[in-house]
Amino acid sequence: RIAYLSDVPTRARLNAVAMVGELGLGYLGQVFSSAEILTAIMGRYLRTGIDRFVLSPSHYVTAMYAVAVELGQLDREALETYGRDGSPLETIGSERTPVVDFTCGSLAQGLSVGIGYALANRLGAQGARTVVFGSDGEMEEGQTWEAAMFAAHQGLTDLTLVLDCNDSQVDGPVSSVTTIEPLVDKWVAFGWHAVEVDGHDFGELTDALDHAADEPKVIVARTTATAALSTLEGLDDAHFIKVDADLKSSLADELEGRL
Amino acid sequence: MLRPAPYETVLKPYGTALVELALQRDDVVCLGADLTRQTETDLFRDRIPERFFNAGMAEANLIGMAAGLARSGLKPFVNTFGVFATRRPYDQVAMSVAYPNLPVRLVGFMPGLSSPGGPSHQAIDDVSLMRSLPNMTVIDVADSGEVSAVVEEIVDLDGPVYLRLKRGEIPVIFDDSYSLSLDEATVIRPGGEVVVVASGMMLAPAIKAAQVAGDAGVDVGLVYVPVIKPLDSATILEAARGSRGVVTAENHSIIGGLGSAVAEVMAEAGLGVPLRRIGVQDVFATAGSRPYLFKEFGLSARALAETVWELTGTSAPLPEFAEVTEERTGVHEPV
Repeated sequence: RIAYLSDVPTRARLNAVAMVGELGLGYLGQVFSSAEILTAIMGRYLRTGIDRFVLSPSHYVTAMYAVAVELGQLDREALETYGRDGSPLETIGSERTPVVDFTCGSLAQGLSVGIGYALANRLGAQGARTVVFGSDGEMEEGQTWEAAMFAAHQGLTDLTLVLDCNDSQVDGPVSSVTTIEPLVDKWVAFGWHAVEVDGHDFGELTDALDHAADEPKVIVARTTATAALSTLEGLDDAHFIKVDADLKSSLADELEGRL
Repeated sequence: MLRPAPYETVLKPYGTALVELALQRDDVVCLGADLTRQTETDLFRDRIPERFFNAGMAEANLIGMAAGLARSGLKPFVNTFGVFATRRPYDQVAMSVAYPNLPVRLVGFMPGLSSPGGPSHQAIDDVSLMRSLPNMTVIDVADSGEVSAVVEEIVDLDGPVYLRLKRGEIPVIFDDSYSLSLDEATVIRPGGEVVVVASGMMLAPAIKAAQVAGDAGVDVGLVYVPVIKPLDSATILEAARGSRGVVTAENHSIIGGLGSAVAEVMAEAGLGVPLRRIGVQDVFATAGSRPYLFKEFGLSARALAETVWELTGTSAPLPEFAEVTEERTGVHEPV
């Protein structure tokens, strides 16, 4: 299964280069940083029809589309409508978009919804796991910590938060805007089981996901928005990347070389 | 339809009705934010603790959790003061609840100037905030029988509901011939040279003002509107058409609530009838007892009657009269 999935992140990045390249600009850095994380969650951890998944920063939905196509969860043709007027494949995920279980977008609302899922699951004794995908920028919002405190208080051991820590927000590196570190220590202090992994290492991600903890679990996944692509070296705005024809073609070439 | 004033009161009809509903339905869950006794949900907590969640003073998370529970097929009743149910987590209510059209029932206590706590605790803009959200139903009831009935009425309603409720002792205004409708406003006094349109806690003063006017030979109609959205505009327009004026009465800012909603439908229908809005006149209030605040900020039968007199242009003198009172059960309910 892991061997089958090994090309998915690179293929997802290629999908995203085509999608965003077609529009000329968009949320490409998020796809580059999160491709392995989403592949591990969507392709390996979640049990279809049982487990729940919340994408808290909905502008990552481009990555979900790109990964979902590779996993057979979304028709490839649908990607051609990405970001087009009238298309359900919106650039920031919403109720209309496929593969999204809950609308977020206004940041840091996803973890609270995930807690609601986990509480409902416990009430119904349904045996479902809830995964929330979050991002480091969302640590700036107070709601994150309201939710963190309450999830631990309730002992929601079936709840997992995976944080894409790509050190990127609209105004630049998260670390240049405010200090969110030490993240692992913060989550531990809030009563969570916290583990730090290389977010581009599929094995580390799946091990961390599979680890059963006695507390709600957070995986602090360290990533880069350039995914070590030399084409993007020195990129200063990873939040919203302009992709002209030249950049599109060199990104595609470099990614093809990884397959 | 109406019982005579002074009105008897019933204690905690909401909290009692919610427990009764939840005992019959496993899908009803109760959430709160450190205001358990104050929202009458100590009754729920003590009876059905496994379905009671106290989020603490964390309203953003509270609303998001309710959304997750609702998406999972449950019917969350979220209880806190009106200000903390609407102003504070507005983005969460908009994006996590209203947009996905989830069956979250937001119950906001201490509406308008019913709180002695001053501007931080007085929800004078909650109807306005909730009314402007697509998918949201907005309810402002007056009578204890309605409070008991509304819980079951809204549990299976599509989409989110904002229910604003006075807490503690609720007057018994209607007799048994009245039953709450979420679809239709109620014409309490038909016809009228001037028509009063009232909601929530302004119903009792409106009844008083209409009776005083009637006794003085001034013909006043009265329409009661417990559901602000969707508004029963047909009943309101039918009553207003051909009158010399309409007066709205709400325990809320005159901006964005019942007065605004009635103004919108009257203007769109081209009635050309003068409108006056009794309510909080676009100011923040102060701390103080409810009778003091209602008098000071113009939420009184007196203020209503004066406005009716002005609109009719009658030369009849406005008589002296006492404000409406309630026969309280005497149970002490501090903030």
